[in-house]
Amino acid sequence: MRSVLVLLALSACAPSLSQQSLAPPGRAARLEEVMGFWSVKYYKVEVSQGVALALTCDENGPCRNVNVVSDDPAIAETRPASLVAMQAISFTAQAPASAFVIVGKHPGTTRLHVHAKRSREIVVTVVAPPPPANEQKAATAAR
Amino acid sequence: MRYLPLLIAGGCGAVGGMHQATLVGQCSKDDAACARKAPLAPLAIGSKFFPEVSTEIAGTATPNLRLESAEPDVLAVEGGALIAKHAGTSAVLISTDDGSVVDFMHVWVAPVTQITLSRRDGERIAGAIGLAVGEDVTLVPALFNGAQRLAGTSAAVWSATSTGPIAILQDGASDRRRLRARAPGKTTITVALGDAKTTVDVEVVP
Repeated sequence: MRSVLVLLALSACAPSLSQQSLAPPGRAARLEEVMGFWSVKYYKVEVSQGVALALTCDENGPCRNVNVVSDDPAIAETRPASLVAMQAISFTAQAPASAFVIVGKHPGTTRLHVHAKRSREIVVTVVAPPPPANEQKAATAAR
Repeated sequence: MRYLPLLIAGGCGAVGGMHQATLVGQCSKDDAACARKAPLAPLAIGSKFFPEVSTEIAGTATPNLRLESAEPDVLAVEGGALIAKHAGTSAVLISTDDGSVVDFMHVWVAPVTQITLSRRDGERIAGAIGLAVGEDVTLVPALFNGAQRLAGTSAAVWSATSTGPIAILQDGASDRRRLRARAPGKTTITVALGDAKTTVDVEVVP
């Protein structure tokens, strides 16, 4: 029982992430929650090669001293970001948002580790961009 | 409510994905062909685009910024210019000196399928050009992919079937040319970039 409560407390405090930018037309940039039994187990991001995605980090208010590390920067890179927006930390108080950017570099899958007070994992899948329209027509004709 | 400043910032120009910076072409306000007049179009493969970047963040002037391409094989950043290399899209990251991303813009690159010519005021050349000896006309190539006009300054190749009637002069821009009527006669000007080309007939009268 005690371990369940500890697990609950830990999962409740782990950073939550929110998507702050949109994918360009025909490309992917999407954040999804993967739910565990009680709460978010980890996050999944699908992003196209060459596309950037801005996320904010919240941990009972904006994450402080957030650091995001990629297992394979050749697949997905991360950068700290300056998003000049206020985020609620209580009913009456606000604090500057904590943001970072994910950049799809090469098709493949890797993991990002978001370190704030607690840690959070993101599984990032970088997808190849679709071929140009004339190549698609040629492929259809060849079938 | 917290998104109100973002909505206000997003109301003009080619605003980035985080709604904090804008990216327009470097050009004078009276330049009709300039990309400043419209949101940033796809860049033509083989062309360069010289961006002017600024931020709209409450309480601060634009900080020192640098540009970086997410996909250098599609779009490279060299000396502050965007170089279109292959068809596709790439995020251009707008960062401060310490590498913190202030905003990003997804820029598209497309092949040129058609070239048209226009005068410097933007009027399209739809037929032959007649000039008197001593007159000149400045022509600007416009690059298209289907019906979509492409952005970027190209290094298009200009040639004439006969160089006697006119001289093709540089005009301070890599793509623009000034045609100077030198002697009576007829010639055909060809402007080519990659596989795309266009021609215009020029007649010079005394």
